[in-house]
Amino acid sequence: MRYVWAAALKDIRRRLRDPLALLIWLGIPFVILALLSLVFRGGEISPQARLLVVDQDDSMVSGLLVGVFAQGDMAQLVQAEEVSEEEGRRRIDEGDGSALLIIPEQFGNAVLTSQPTRLTLLTNPSQSILPSILEEILSLLVDAVFYLQRLAGEPLAAFASGPPEGAAGFSDPFIAATSIEINQLMTSLTEYLNPPRLDVSIEIEESEEHKSLNLGALFFQSMFFLAILFAAQGMSDDVWVEHRLGTLRRALTLPPGVGGFLAGKLLAGFLLMLAMAVAGISAGAAIYGFPAANVAPSALWAATSGMALLVLFLLLQLFATSQRAGSILSTLVLFPMMMLGGTFFPFEAMPGWMAAIGRRMPNGWALERLKELLSGSATAETMLPATAALLATLVVGTWLAARRLRGGFVGR
Amino acid sequence: MIEVEELRKEYGDLVAVDGVSFTAQGGAVFGLLGPNGAGKTTTIGCISGLRQPTAGRVRVMGHDVVFEGPASRARLGVVPQDLALYEELSATENLLYWASAYGLRGAALKKRITESLEVTGLLDRAREPVKRFSGGMKRRLNFACGIVHEPQVLLLDEPTVGVDPQSRVRLQELVKAQAAAGTCVLYTTHYMEEAETLCDRLAIVDHGKLIAQGSLNELRAMLGERDLLRLSGRFPSEAQIAAALAGVEGAEIVQAEEGSLIVAAPQASRELPALLAALTRVGAEVWETTMTRPSLETLFIKLTGKELRE
Ligand SMILES: Nc1ncnc2c1ncn2[C@@H]1O[C@H](COP(=O)(O)OP(=O)(O)O)[C@@H](O)[C@H]1O
Ligand SMILES: [Mg+2]
Repeated sequence: MRYVWAAALKDIRRRLRDPLALLIWLGIPFVILALLSLVFRGGEISPQARLLVVDQDDSMVSGLLVGVFAQGDMAQLVQAEEVSEEEGRRRIDEGDGSALLIIPEQFGNAVLTSQPTRLTLLTNPSQSILPSILEEILSLLVDAVFYLQRLAGEPLAAFASGPPEGAAGFSDPFIAATSIEINQLMTSLTEYLNPPRLDVSIEIEESEEHKSLNLGALFFQSMFFLAILFAAQGMSDDVWVEHRLGTLRRALTLPPGVGGFLAGKLLAGFLLMLAMAVAGISAGAAIYGFPAANVAPSALWAATSGMALLVLFLLLQLFATSQRAGSILSTLVLFPMMMLGGTFFPFEAMPGWMAAIGRRMPNGWALERLKELLSGSATAETMLPATAALLATLVVGTWLAARRLRGGFVGR
Repeated sequence: MIEVEELRKEYGDLVAVDGVSFTAQGGAVFGLLGPNGAGKTTTIGCISGLRQPTAGRVRVMGHDVVFEGPASRARLGVVPQDLALYEELSATENLLYWASAYGLRGAALKKRITESLEVTGLLDRAREPVKRFSGGMKRRLNFACGIVHEPQVLLLDEPTVGVDPQSRVRLQELVKAQAAAGTCVLYTTHYMEEAETLCDRLAIVDHGKLIAQGSLNELRAMLGERDLLRLSGRFPSEAQIAAALAGVEGAEIVQAEEGSLIVAAPQASRELPALLAALTRVGAEVWETTMTRPSLETLFIKLTGKELRE
């Protein structure tokens, strides 16, 4: 163990003596992030949520509900489009649209008569920010409907159920009484309609801010993990460097052998990436408001998955025939991983099918878990198997690397 | 102590080491002498655990290198043929890393690092990055990395190749000091003179095969105290030469090639006129004659029929 520490320390020292590579790994993502935030601060490329609406009710109430999305600031953020249920479901499945809102038949009636009713919102799984904004807006509207029901329930219900049996119409006293009641109601309603809870424009402003925060956070996560990916690929060719230096051959004659050598390399990679992660994620938490308590587990996850990526790149290097071949091979693998795996374009900005592929790439998979940890939505149920899978990858990958290193690689 | 029994190592079709056996004892320098490609580095690799022997047994201080790898490696110090140093790190940092693998720590580690730097004459440059060192200094540091943990067995693979004469002498003294302190030293070289001045016992290898071994005196005795005559000129067939030389006592053809002839003979200086006369009689024309006293070189030529050159 002492040797593994010494081996890691020596690698870290070597890295720090020649910090250019480190600066590039961190620098490129940082520059991209800075450029992106400049672009988005201009607000010109603000993404629009596309809400597909199925209005099976087609009443005045449902019309009002849909209308909310087409008003003022809201219209800039949400583009509502009426579709049939069949079309809506198909398009959401294909990843076209941020969410599908289904307003059931008799919705308006149920609202007016205080009957329980249900709105259905299907969100697009490949987008995470926009659908959640829609969800928020909708829950806001449902709250509004709730208040409306509570306050105007009785007189509205009386109108809704029609004139008493046998009568040709409503009696004058009834209308008078109801009018007074409604008048009073309207007076009191303004109190509820105007306060913030229903003031759509105020709420939307808040949402807009919320959105830009989330967008920044989104790109930050992608760019941070890009730095980890670069570091993993960049460190992997150190086996070739040590091969050329002759130090690899000598290391294999040491008592700890190939296992000690690899363990030292991986520990050095882990520690460097942990330092990157602690610094990067702390800064990210300060800027984008991730809870401070999530920094440590997120950094640990980022460094551990970075170490697993290092093992994967190491295997590519070890099976290459030369340092040049190794660098070409690992770059050929790096690019699609980088582009599709959410570490360049966030999944949320990708077509659904592409995001679905990206989430299955090693870096995309690890990035998704990192986002969960950062936002605090990670649960033991998802993280325990994920950690087990990560550790299994590390163990199997290291074993393969040791075999290859001891066998064909050093024989050259 | 190193015990090598019937060691064989194949690289695909190529047999790099072919049934080599020898034993190297503590407190002495055991030399492995042979030309490039003879299999010296491969033999060292099998002892150090870097290479898996194809067949045969190797034990280091009684520990089998295959079945007790870590235990046998723990007793070894290795100075590889090619440098094995981290250029960006200082001499001290290099030593720190290699020594840590043998469990050295704390004050003992510091003391040994200082001692190793001192004996190799690098103490005043200890904190400088190795990339600023001269070739000779790197060689000495490479040596220091192999002895920093005071190994019982030291493997040195051509440590003086490409080294300036001053550093070479210094390295040879260091090797002798190691043996004098009780270490078992295995030293490979293709320099005859180095083997003669440094080694207590020698094994001569060629094409992966061990062709002779023993102390220097034992090996010299194998030559039968015969001198070696190198002649250049125009010669008839080997059979005619052999017939002509039959009259000269003890003379024997070592090598006969177009334009050159090597003959071994006891007291060649006295027999030279008779020998030349015999050759002239069968139509040979001799232009140049050189005579060599018995040495490892002559032994090597006698055993392999060729000269030992780089
Ligand atoms: N890794 C290897 N793969 C294939 N052949 C090798 C390898 N290493 C050495 N050889 C061959 O094995 C023979 C012995 O090489 P080596 O042990 O390096 O000799 P020496 O050290 O005496 O010069 C040579 O013919 C060499 O070409
Ligand atoms: Mg060699």
